[in-house]
Amino acid sequence: MGKSLVAAKLNLRNIGAAYLITAVTVGCMMVQDIVFLILKMFDINPNGPENATISFGNYFFLLLVFSAIFIPSRNFHKMMNLGGKRADFFKGCAINHAIMAAAISLISIILYHTADKFMISALYGGGTLDVVYWFGWIGNGSVVAFFQQFAFLLLLAVVIHTLTAAQGKWYGWAADIVIVAVIAVFIPIPALRPVLIWFFNMVIFHQYAAVQISFCLLLACAVYALNRPIFARKAI
Amino acid sequence: MIEFSNVSKIYKDTTAIDRLTLNLPERGIYCLLGRNGAGKTTLMKLAAGHIAANEGGIAVDGQKVSTGRMPESVNYIESGSAQFNMRASALIDAAAELQGDFDRGFAREMVKRFELNTRKKYKQLSFGMKTMLTTILTLASNAKVILLDEPTLGFDAIMRDQFNTLLLESYQARPRLIVVSTHLIDEIAKVIERLIIIDNGRVLTQAGIGEIDEKAYTLSGSASVIEPLLGGLNCIGKTTAGSVMAAHIYDKRITPPGGVSIGRLSLQDFFINLVGGKSNG
Repeated sequence: MGKSLVAAKLNLRNIGAAYLITAVTVGCMMVQDIVFLILKMFDINPNGPENATISFGNYFFLLLVFSAIFIPSRNFHKMMNLGGKRADFFKGCAINHAIMAAAISLISIILYHTADKFMISALYGGGTLDVVYWFGWIGNGSVVAFFQQFAFLLLLAVVIHTLTAAQGKWYGWAADIVIVAVIAVFIPIPALRPVLIWFFNMVIFHQYAAVQISFCLLLACAVYALNRPIFARKAI
Repeated sequence: MIEFSNVSKIYKDTTAIDRLTLNLPERGIYCLLGRNGAGKTTLMKLAAGHIAANEGGIAVDGQKVSTGRMPESVNYIESGSAQFNMRASALIDAAAELQGDFDRGFAREMVKRFELNTRKKYKQLSFGMKTMLTTILTLASNAKVILLDEPTLGFDAIMRDQFNTLLLESYQARPRLIVVSTHLIDEIAKVIERLIIIDNGRVLTQAGIGEIDEKAYTLSGSASVIEPLLGGLNCIGKTTAGSVMAAHIYDKRITPPGGVSIGRLSLQDFFINLVGGKSNG
Protein backbone atom coordinates (compact mmCIF):
# COMPACT_ATOMS: atom_id res chain seq x y z
CA MET A 1 0.00 0.00 0.00
CA GLY A 2 2.92 2.34 0.77
CA LYS A 3 4.25 2.48 -2.78
CA SER A 4 0.71 2.81 -4.15
CA LEU A 5 0.22 5.90 -1.98
CA VAL A 6 3.52 7.28 -3.27
CA ALA A 7 2.29 6.66 -6.83
CA ALA A 8 -1.01 8.40 -6.00
CA LYS A 9 0.84 11.36 -4.47
CA LEU A 10 3.07 11.66 -7.53
CA ASN A 11 0.05 11.56 -9.81
CA LEU A 12 -1.76 14.30 -7.87
CA ARG A 13 1.39 16.39 -8.04
CA ASN A 14 1.88 15.91 -11.75
CA ILE A 15 -1.42 16.79 -13.37
CA GLY A 16 -0.66 20.47 -13.70
CA ALA A 17 -2.52 20.77 -17.01
CA ALA A 18 -5.73 19.45 -15.42
CA TYR A 19 -5.43 21.92 -12.53
CA LEU A 20 -4.73 24.75 -14.97
CA ILE A 21 -7.69 24.02 -17.26
CA THR A 22 -10.05 23.82 -14.27
CA ALA A 23 -8.64 26.96 -12.64
CA VAL A 24 -8.91 28.97 -15.87
CA THR A 25 -12.51 27.82 -16.45
CA VAL A 26 -13.60 28.51 -12.86
CA GLY A 27 -11.72 31.83 -12.94
CA CYS A 28 -13.42 32.93 -16.17
CA MET A 29 -16.86 32.07 -14.78
CA MET A 30 -16.11 33.96 -11.56
CA VAL A 31 -14.96 37.02 -13.51
CA GLN A 32 -18.17 36.92 -15.55
CA ASP A 33 -20.32 36.71 -12.41
CA ILE A 34 -18.37 39.51 -10.73
CA VAL A 35 -18.93 41.70 -13.80
CA PHE A 36 -22.66 40.92 -13.67
CA LEU A 37 -22.74 41.78 -9.95
CA ILE A 38 -20.97 45.10 -10.55
CA LEU A 39 -23.32 45.96 -13.43
CA LYS A 40 -26.28 45.16 -11.20
CA MET A 41 -24.86 47.14 -8.28
CA PHE A 42 -24.49 50.25 -10.43
CA ASP A 43 -27.88 49.74 -12.06
CA ILE A 44 -26.33 49.35 -15.50
CA ASN A 45 -27.97 45.96 -15.91
CA PRO A 46 -30.32 45.81 -12.91
CA ASN A 47 -32.02 42.52 -13.91
CA GLY A 48 -28.74 40.61 -14.28
CA PRO A 49 -28.56 37.58 -16.58
CA GLU A 50 -32.01 36.10 -17.03
CA ASN A 51 -30.89 32.62 -17.90
CA ALA A 52 -29.65 29.90 -15.55
CA THR A 53 -25.98 29.14 -14.99
CA ILE A 54 -23.94 26.04 -14.37
CA SER A 55 -23.14 25.50 -10.70
CA PHE A 56 -19.61 26.43 -9.64
CA GLY A 57 -19.16 22.99 -8.12
CA ASN A 58 -19.84 21.28 -11.43
CA TYR A 59 -16.93 23.08 -13.11
CA PHE A 60 -14.66 20.96 -10.92
CA PHE A 61 -15.84 17.93 -12.90
CA LEU A 62 -13.31 19.15 -15.47
CA LEU A 63 -10.53 18.36 -13.00
CA LEU A 64 -11.80 14.80 -12.65
CA VAL A 65 -12.13 14.32 -16.41
CA PHE A 66 -8.72 15.75 -17.32
CA SER A 67 -6.89 13.98 -14.50
CA ALA A 68 -8.42 10.70 -15.71
CA ILE A 69 -6.98 11.49 -19.17
CA PHE A 70 -3.55 12.79 -18.15
CA ILE A 71 -2.69 10.21 -15.49
CA PRO A 72 -2.70 7.14 -17.75
CA SER A 73 -1.48 8.96 -20.85
CA ARG A 74 1.36 11.04 -19.38
CA ASN A 75 2.26 9.75 -15.94
CA PHE A 76 2.56 6.00 -16.52
CA HIS A 77 5.88 6.06 -18.39
CA LYS A 78 7.35 8.69 -16.09
CA MET A 79 6.43 6.66 -13.02
CA MET A 80 8.09 3.58 -14.52
CA ASN A 81 11.15 5.70 -15.38
CA LEU A 82 11.57 6.41 -11.66
CA GLY A 83 11.77 2.70 -10.98
CA GLY A 84 8.07 2.28 -10.16
CA LYS A 85 6.19 -0.95 -10.77
CA ARG A 86 3.03 -1.43 -12.82
CA ALA A 87 1.10 -2.90 -9.87
CA ASP A 88 1.82 0.18 -7.75
CA PHE A 89 0.71 2.48 -10.56
CA PHE A 90 -2.51 0.46 -10.95
CA LYS A 91 -3.37 0.72 -7.25
CA GLY A 92 -2.16 4.32 -7.03
CA CYS A 93 -4.48 5.44 -9.83
CA ALA A 94 -7.45 3.80 -8.11
CA ILE A 95 -6.61 5.84 -4.99
CA ASN A 96 -6.31 8.99 -7.15
CA HIS A 97 -9.71 8.59 -8.74
CA ALA A 98 -11.38 7.79 -5.41
CA ILE A 99 -9.81 10.88 -3.78
CA MET A 100 -10.71 13.06 -6.75
CA ALA A 101 -14.32 11.81 -6.90
CA ALA A 102 -14.80 12.27 -3.13
CA ALA A 103 -13.22 15.73 -3.06
CA ILE A 104 -15.16 17.01 -6.05
CA SER A 105 -18.43 15.54 -4.77
CA LEU A 106 -17.86 17.25 -1.42
CA ILE A 107 -16.89 20.58 -2.99
CA SER A 108 -19.86 20.41 -5.33
CA ILE A 109 -22.35 19.82 -2.49
CA ILE A 110 -20.83 22.53 -0.29
CA LEU A 111 -20.98 24.99 -3.20
CA TYR A 112 -24.57 23.92 -3.96
CA HIS A 113 -25.57 25.01 -0.46
CA THR A 114 -23.47 28.17 -0.39
CA ALA A 115 -22.25 29.83 -3.61
CA ASP A 116 -25.16 28.54 -5.71
CA LYS A 117 -27.79 29.83 -3.26
CA PHE A 118 -26.06 33.20 -3.18
CA MET A 119 -25.80 33.38 -6.99
CA ILE A 120 -29.50 32.52 -7.36
CA SER A 121 -30.56 35.23 -4.92
CA ALA A 122 -28.09 37.80 -6.25
CA LEU A 123 -28.02 37.16 -9.99
CA TYR A 124 -29.50 34.11 -11.59
CA GLY A 125 -33.26 34.16 -11.41
CA GLY A 126 -33.22 31.15 -13.69
CA GLY A 127 -31.38 29.14 -11.02
CA THR A 128 -28.23 27.06 -11.32
CA LEU A 129 -27.75 23.86 -13.23
CA ASP A 130 -26.35 21.42 -10.70
CA VAL A 131 -25.98 17.68 -11.17
CA VAL A 132 -27.07 16.89 -7.61
CA TYR A 133 -30.28 18.82 -8.18
CA TRP A 134 -31.09 17.78 -11.75
CA PHE A 135 -30.35 14.10 -11.11
CA GLY A 136 -32.55 14.29 -8.03
CA TRP A 137 -29.82 13.22 -5.60
CA ILE A 138 -30.11 16.21 -3.27
CA GLY A 139 -33.69 15.14 -2.56
CA ASN A 140 -32.21 12.23 -0.57
CA GLY A 141 -30.34 14.62 1.72
CA SER A 142 -26.83 16.03 1.40
CA VAL A 143 -25.00 13.02 2.84
CA VAL A 144 -26.69 10.51 0.54
CA ALA A 145 -26.31 12.92 -2.38
CA PHE A 146 -22.57 13.07 -1.64
CA PHE A 147 -22.26 9.31 -1.92
CA GLN A 148 -24.47 9.14 -5.03
CA GLN A 149 -22.40 11.78 -6.74
CA PHE A 150 -19.14 10.19 -5.53
CA ALA A 151 -20.10 6.80 -6.99
CA PHE A 152 -21.14 8.37 -10.30
CA LEU A 153 -17.97 10.46 -10.56
CA LEU A 154 -15.79 7.49 -9.69
CA LEU A 155 -17.42 5.48 -12.47
CA LEU A 156 -16.95 8.38 -14.89
CA ALA A 157 -13.25 8.74 -13.99
CA VAL A 158 -12.60 5.02 -14.26
CA VAL A 159 -14.27 4.76 -17.68
CA ILE A 160 -12.27 7.73 -19.02
CA HIS A 161 -9.04 6.35 -17.50
CA THR A 162 -9.62 2.93 -19.06
CA LEU A 163 -10.53 4.29 -22.49
CA THR A 164 -7.45 6.56 -22.45
CA ALA A 165 -5.18 3.71 -21.38
CA ALA A 166 -6.47 1.51 -24.19
CA GLN A 167 -6.05 4.09 -26.95
CA GLY A 168 -3.46 3.20 -29.56
CA LYS A 169 -4.29 -0.50 -29.29
CA TRP A 170 -6.85 -2.38 -31.32
CA TYR A 171 -9.02 -3.03 -28.26
CA GLY A 172 -9.08 0.71 -27.52
CA TRP A 173 -10.39 1.52 -30.97
CA ALA A 174 -12.84 -1.39 -30.70
CA ALA A 175 -14.16 0.01 -27.41
CA ASP A 176 -14.62 3.47 -28.99
CA ILE A 177 -16.54 1.95 -31.91
CA VAL A 178 -18.72 -0.15 -29.59
CA ILE A 179 -19.63 2.92 -27.48
CA VAL A 180 -20.50 5.01 -30.53
CA ALA A 181 -22.39 2.09 -32.08
CA VAL A 182 -24.40 1.45 -28.92
CA ILE A 183 -25.46 5.09 -28.70
CA ALA A 184 -26.11 5.38 -32.44
CA VAL A 185 -28.07 2.13 -32.69
CA PHE A 186 -29.85 1.96 -29.33
CA ILE A 187 -31.33 5.46 -29.44
CA PRO A 188 -33.14 5.32 -32.81
CA ILE A 189 -34.45 1.76 -32.44
CA PRO A 190 -37.45 1.80 -30.08
CA ALA A 191 -37.02 -1.86 -29.14
CA LEU A 192 -33.48 -1.25 -27.88
CA ARG A 193 -34.12 2.10 -26.25
CA PRO A 194 -35.29 0.54 -22.94
CA VAL A 195 -31.82 -1.00 -22.52
CA LEU A 196 -30.23 2.45 -22.51
CA ILE A 197 -32.98 3.77 -20.27
CA TRP A 198 -32.37 0.89 -17.84
CA PHE A 199 -28.62 1.59 -17.85
CA PHE A 200 -28.96 5.31 -17.13
CA ASN A 201 -31.63 4.56 -14.54
CA MET A 202 -29.19 2.28 -12.72
CA VAL A 203 -26.26 4.68 -13.00
CA ILE A 204 -28.08 7.94 -12.24
CA PHE A 205 -31.80 7.99 -11.64
CA HIS A 206 -32.65 4.90 -9.63
CA GLN A 207 -35.25 5.62 -6.94
CA TYR A 208 -33.19 3.75 -4.35
CA ALA A 209 -29.90 5.52 -3.70
CA ALA A 210 -28.28 2.34 -2.38
CA VAL A 211 -28.98 0.56 -5.69
CA GLN A 212 -27.56 3.42 -7.74
CA ILE A 213 -24.44 3.69 -5.52
CA SER A 214 -23.85 -0.07 -5.49
CA PHE A 215 -24.32 -0.38 -9.25
CA CYS A 216 -21.89 2.49 -9.96
CA LEU A 217 -19.25 1.13 -7.57
CA LEU A 218 -19.51 -2.44 -8.89
CA LEU A 219 -19.36 -1.27 -12.49
CA ALA A 220 -16.39 1.00 -11.66
CA CYS A 221 -14.54 -1.97 -10.12
CA ALA A 222 -15.31 -4.16 -13.15
CA VAL A 223 -14.17 -1.50 -15.63
CA TYR A 224 -11.06 -0.69 -13.60
CA ALA A 225 -10.10 -4.37 -13.52
CA LEU A 226 -9.68 -4.14 -17.31
CA ASN A 227 -6.68 -1.89 -16.68
CA ARG A 228 -4.71 -4.83 -15.25
CA PRO A 229 -4.19 -6.56 -18.62
CA ILE A 230 -3.97 -3.23 -20.45
CA PHE A 231 -1.08 -1.96 -18.31
CA ALA A 232 0.50 -5.41 -18.05
CA ARG A 233 0.97 -5.36 -21.84
CA LYS A 234 1.97 -1.73 -22.16
CA ALA A 235 5.56 -1.32 -23.32
CA ILE A 236 7.70 1.19 -21.45
CA MET B 1 20.81 -14.42 -11.94
CA ILE B 2 19.79 -13.35 -15.47
CA GLU B 3 18.90 -16.01 -18.02
CA PHE B 4 17.83 -15.48 -21.60
CA SER B 5 16.79 -18.66 -23.39
CA ASN B 6 16.38 -18.41 -27.14
CA VAL B 7 14.79 -14.95 -26.85
CA SER B 8 13.62 -12.97 -29.88
CA LYS B 9 12.19 -9.48 -30.01
CA ILE B 10 10.83 -8.17 -33.26
CA TYR B 11 9.68 -4.57 -33.84
CA LYS B 12 7.47 -4.64 -36.95
CA ASP B 13 10.01 -5.64 -39.61
CA THR B 14 13.17 -5.27 -37.49
CA THR B 15 14.60 -8.11 -35.46
CA ALA B 16 16.20 -6.41 -32.45
CA ILE B 17 17.01 -9.61 -30.56
CA ASP B 18 17.48 -12.77 -32.56
CA ARG B 19 17.16 -16.13 -30.71
CA LEU B 20 19.56 -14.88 -28.06
CA THR B 21 20.74 -17.13 -25.26
CA LEU B 22 22.70 -15.55 -22.44
CA ASN B 23 23.40 -16.55 -18.88
CA LEU B 24 24.79 -14.16 -16.28
CA PRO B 25 24.88 -16.42 -13.25
CA GLU B 26 27.04 -14.47 -10.82
CA ARG B 27 27.38 -11.08 -9.25
CA GLY B 28 29.87 -8.79 -10.93
CA ILE B 29 30.17 -5.78 -13.19
CA TYR B 30 29.43 -6.71 -16.79
CA CYS B 31 29.89 -4.45 -19.78
CA LEU B 32 27.40 -4.79 -22.60
CA LEU B 33 28.97 -3.65 -25.81
CA GLY B 34 27.52 -3.33 -29.26
CA ARG B 35 27.07 -0.95 -32.14
CA ASN B 36 24.09 1.39 -32.28
CA GLY B 37 21.02 -0.74 -32.93
CA ALA B 38 22.77 -3.95 -31.88
CA GLY B 39 20.03 -4.63 -29.33
CA LYS B 40 21.61 -3.45 -26.05
CA THR B 41 18.68 -1.34 -24.83
CA THR B 42 16.17 -3.94 -25.98
CA LEU B 43 18.06 -6.60 -24.02
CA MET B 44 17.93 -4.48 -20.86
CA LYS B 45 14.27 -3.62 -21.33
CA LEU B 46 13.44 -7.31 -21.72
CA ALA B 47 15.31 -8.19 -18.52
CA ALA B 48 13.47 -5.44 -16.63
CA GLY B 49 10.04 -6.49 -17.94
CA HIS B 50 9.56 -3.19 -19.72
CA ILE B 51 8.79 -4.92 -23.02
CA ALA B 52 7.66 -8.40 -23.95
CA ALA B 53 9.68 -10.91 -25.94
CA ASN B 54 8.10 -12.44 -29.04
CA GLU B 55 9.56 -15.82 -28.18
CA GLY B 56 11.82 -17.47 -25.66
CA GLY B 57 12.03 -17.19 -21.91
CA ILE B 58 13.66 -14.71 -19.54
CA ALA B 59 14.27 -15.30 -15.86
CA VAL B 60 15.85 -13.06 -13.24
CA ASP B 61 16.83 -14.47 -9.87
CA GLY B 62 14.87 -17.62 -10.74
CA GLN B 63 11.67 -15.69 -11.45
CA LYS B 64 10.13 -15.66 -14.92
CA VAL B 65 10.01 -12.13 -16.34
CA SER B 66 7.20 -10.63 -18.40
CA THR B 67 5.62 -7.19 -18.76
CA GLY B 68 2.90 -8.28 -16.36
CA ARG B 69 5.50 -9.53 -13.90
CA MET B 70 8.27 -6.95 -13.57
CA PRO B 71 11.03 -8.36 -11.39
CA GLU B 72 11.40 -6.57 -8.06
CA SER B 73 15.08 -7.47 -8.07
CA VAL B 74 15.87 -5.43 -11.20
CA ASN B 75 16.32 -1.70 -11.46
CA TYR B 76 16.55 -0.27 -14.95
CA ILE B 77 15.91 3.27 -16.11
CA GLU B 78 16.35 4.05 -19.77
CA SER B 79 18.86 6.78 -20.51
CA GLY B 80 17.21 9.98 -21.73
CA SER B 81 13.78 8.74 -20.67
CA ALA B 82 10.96 11.17 -19.89
CA GLN B 83 10.74 12.25 -16.26
CA PHE B 84 8.33 14.34 -14.23
CA ASN B 85 9.32 17.98 -14.44
CA MET B 86 10.12 18.23 -10.74
CA ARG B 87 13.21 19.42 -8.91
CA ALA B 88 16.05 16.91 -9.09
CA SER B 89 15.90 16.53 -5.29
CA ALA B 90 12.17 15.76 -5.48
CA LEU B 91 12.77 13.19 -8.23
CA ILE B 92 15.40 11.46 -6.08
CA ASP B 93 12.98 11.44 -3.12
CA ALA B 94 10.17 10.08 -5.32
CA ALA B 95 12.41 7.33 -6.71
CA ALA B 96 13.53 6.44 -3.17
CA GLU B 97 9.90 6.10 -2.04
CA LEU B 98 8.79 4.23 -5.17
CA GLN B 99 11.68 1.80 -5.17
CA GLY B 100 11.65 1.22 -1.44
CA ASP B 101 15.13 -0.22 -1.12
CA PHE B 102 17.13 2.89 -2.06
CA ASP B 103 20.43 4.15 -0.69
CA ARG B 104 19.79 7.85 -0.06
CA GLY B 105 23.27 8.30 1.38
CA PHE B 106 24.91 7.01 -1.79
CA ALA B 107 22.58 9.18 -3.91
CA ARG B 108 23.61 12.24 -1.85
CA GLU B 109 27.28 11.32 -2.29
CA MET B 110 26.85 11.05 -6.07
CA VAL B 111 25.01 14.38 -6.19
CA LYS B 112 27.85 15.98 -4.24
CA ARG B 113 30.65 14.52 -6.35
CA PHE B 114 28.95 15.31 -9.65
CA GLU B 115 27.95 18.79 -8.39
CA LEU B 116 24.40 18.24 -9.56
CA ASN B 117 22.17 21.24 -8.83
CA THR B 118 19.22 19.50 -7.20
CA ARG B 119 17.21 22.72 -6.99
CA LYS B 120 16.81 22.77 -10.76
CA LYS B 121 13.76 21.22 -12.36
CA TYR B 122 14.35 18.29 -14.71
CA LYS B 123 13.70 20.27 -17.90
CA GLN B 124 16.19 22.93 -16.80
CA LEU B 125 19.04 20.41 -16.53
CA SER B 126 21.59 20.04 -19.32
CA PHE B 127 21.74 16.80 -21.32
CA GLY B 128 24.69 15.52 -19.29
CA MET B 129 22.98 16.42 -16.00
CA LYS B 130 19.82 14.58 -17.08
CA THR B 131 21.88 11.48 -17.79
CA MET B 132 23.60 11.92 -14.43
CA LEU B 133 20.29 12.09 -12.60
CA THR B 134 19.07 8.92 -14.34
CA THR B 135 22.35 7.21 -13.41
CA ILE B 136 21.96 8.27 -9.76
CA LEU B 137 18.35 7.03 -9.66
CA THR B 138 19.45 3.65 -10.99
CA LEU B 139 22.75 3.11 -9.19
CA ALA B 140 21.51 4.21 -5.75
CA SER B 141 18.96 1.41 -5.80
CA ASN B 142 19.72 -1.59 -3.63
CA ALA B 143 18.18 -3.99 -6.16
CA LYS B 144 20.06 -7.24 -6.82
CA VAL B 145 20.37 -6.44 -10.51
CA ILE B 146 21.25 -2.98 -11.81
CA LEU B 147 21.02 -2.24 -15.52
CA LEU B 148 22.74 0.98 -16.58
CA ASP B 149 22.02 2.09 -20.13
CA GLU B 150 24.64 4.52 -21.44
CA PRO B 151 25.19 5.94 -17.93
CA THR B 152 27.92 8.39 -19.02
CA LEU B 153 26.27 9.80 -22.14
CA GLY B 154 27.07 13.52 -22.27
CA PHE B 155 29.62 13.32 -19.41
CA ASP B 156 32.99 15.02 -19.73
CA ALA B 157 36.20 13.02 -19.13
CA ILE B 158 36.41 13.95 -15.44
CA MET B 159 32.80 13.03 -14.78
CA ARG B 160 33.29 9.71 -16.59
CA ASP B 161 36.28 8.97 -14.40
CA GLN B 162 34.30 9.85 -11.27
CA PHE B 163 31.47 7.63 -12.44
CA ASN B 164 33.83 4.67 -12.86
CA THR B 165 35.17 5.21 -9.34
CA LEU B 166 31.64 5.46 -7.91
CA LEU B 167 30.55 2.36 -9.80
CA LEU B 168 33.36 0.40 -8.22
CA GLU B 169 32.64 1.86 -4.76
CA SER B 170 28.97 1.03 -5.15
CA TYR B 171 29.81 -2.55 -6.10
CA GLN B 172 32.28 -2.96 -3.25
CA ALA B 173 29.71 -1.64 -0.77
CA ARG B 174 26.89 -3.84 -2.16
CA PRO B 175 28.13 -6.61 -4.44
CA ARG B 176 25.43 -7.44 -7.00
CA LEU B 177 24.99 -7.91 -10.72
CA ILE B 178 25.58 -4.67 -12.59
CA VAL B 179 25.32 -4.51 -16.38
CA VAL B 180 26.64 -1.34 -17.99
CA SER B 181 25.96 -0.57 -21.61
CA THR B 182 28.47 1.87 -23.07
CA HIS B 183 30.51 2.70 -26.14
CA LEU B 184 33.48 3.92 -24.11
CA ILE B 185 34.91 0.48 -23.49
CA ASP B 186 38.53 1.36 -22.75
CA GLU B 187 37.51 3.83 -20.02
CA ILE B 188 35.31 1.40 -18.17
CA ALA B 189 37.65 -1.57 -18.69
CA LYS B 190 39.41 -0.94 -15.37
CA VAL B 191 36.24 -1.56 -13.35
CA ILE B 192 34.43 -4.31 -15.27
CA GLU B 193 34.93 -8.03 -14.84
CA ARG B 194 33.27 -9.43 -17.94
CA LEU B 195 32.46 -8.23 -21.41
CA ILE B 196 29.42 -9.18 -23.47
CA ILE B 197 29.50 -8.16 -27.11
CA ILE B 198 26.27 -8.29 -29.07
CA ASP B 199 25.66 -7.62 -32.72
CA ASN B 200 22.45 -7.84 -34.74
CA GLY B 201 20.61 -9.08 -31.67
CA ARG B 202 22.96 -11.99 -30.99
CA VAL B 203 25.78 -12.54 -28.51
CA LEU B 204 29.08 -12.53 -30.37
CA THR B 205 31.23 -13.20 -27.36
CA GLN B 206 31.12 -13.24 -23.59
CA ALA B 207 34.37 -13.42 -21.71
CA GLY B 208 36.27 -12.14 -18.71
CA ILE B 209 38.48 -9.11 -19.17
CA GLY B 210 41.56 -11.15 -18.21
CA GLU B 211 40.71 -13.78 -20.78
CA ILE B 212 40.33 -11.17 -23.51
CA ASP B 213 43.59 -9.54 -22.48
CA GLU B 214 45.27 -12.92 -22.81
CA LYS B 215 43.68 -14.05 -26.06
CA ALA B 216 43.39 -10.80 -28.00
CA TYR B 217 46.64 -9.64 -29.61
CA THR B 218 48.11 -8.30 -32.82
CA LEU B 219 50.76 -9.92 -34.98
CA SER B 220 52.74 -7.38 -37.02
CA GLY B 221 55.31 -8.00 -39.66
CA SER B 222 55.75 -9.17 -43.20
CA ALA B 223 52.54 -10.41 -44.77
CA SER B 224 54.31 -13.36 -46.32
CA VAL B 225 55.39 -14.58 -42.86
CA ILE B 226 52.13 -13.84 -41.03
CA GLU B 227 49.70 -15.17 -43.64
CA PRO B 228 50.67 -18.85 -43.14
CA LEU B 229 50.31 -18.50 -39.36
CA LEU B 230 46.67 -17.47 -39.61
CA GLY B 231 45.42 -20.85 -40.79
CA GLY B 232 45.23 -22.26 -37.30
CA LEU B 233 44.22 -19.05 -35.53
CA ASN B 234 40.98 -17.13 -35.11
CA CYS B 235 41.85 -13.96 -37.00
CA ILE B 236 39.23 -11.29 -36.29
CA GLY B 237 40.72 -8.66 -38.60
CA LYS B 238 43.77 -7.62 -40.50
CA THR B 239 45.29 -4.51 -41.98
CA THR B 240 47.78 -4.57 -44.83
CA ALA B 241 49.98 -1.79 -46.18
CA GLY B 242 52.13 -3.01 -49.04
CA SER B 243 54.01 -6.06 -47.83
CA VAL B 244 53.43 -5.30 -44.13
CA MET B 245 50.49 -6.80 -42.28
CA ALA B 246 48.90 -6.42 -38.86
CA ALA B 247 46.67 -9.38 -38.02
CA HIS B 248 44.33 -9.17 -35.03
CA ILE B 249 43.90 -12.49 -33.30
CA TYR B 250 41.47 -13.77 -30.69
CA ASP B 251 42.88 -17.16 -29.87
CA LYS B 252 45.58 -18.91 -27.89
CA ARG B 253 48.94 -17.12 -27.64
CA ILE B 254 51.66 -18.26 -30.03
CA THR B 255 55.37 -17.71 -30.03
CA PRO B 256 55.92 -15.51 -33.06
CA PRO B 257 58.64 -16.43 -35.56
CA GLY B 258 61.48 -14.03 -36.29
CA GLY B 259 60.44 -10.80 -37.97
CA VAL B 260 56.95 -10.90 -36.43
CA SER B 261 56.18 -8.87 -33.33
CA ILE B 262 53.28 -9.45 -30.98
CA GLY B 263 51.38 -6.51 -29.51
CA ARG B 264 48.47 -5.85 -27.20
CA LEU B 265 45.05 -5.35 -28.78
CA SER B 266 43.01 -2.74 -26.92
CA LEU B 267 39.43 -3.60 -26.01
CA GLN B 268 38.22 -0.90 -28.38
CA ASP B 269 40.21 -2.42 -31.27
CA PHE B 270 39.14 -5.90 -30.24
CA PHE B 271 35.52 -4.80 -30.42
CA ILE B 272 35.96 -2.95 -33.72
CA ASN B 273 37.64 -5.94 -35.34
CA LEU B 274 35.17 -8.43 -33.94
CA VAL B 275 32.10 -6.48 -35.00
CA GLY B 276 33.33 -4.28 -37.79
CA GLY B 277 34.41 -6.91 -40.30
CA LYS B 278 37.18 -9.32 -41.05
CA SER B 279 39.42 -7.15 -43.14
CA ASN B 280 40.04 -3.49 -43.73
CA GLY B 281 43.17 -3.80 -45.71
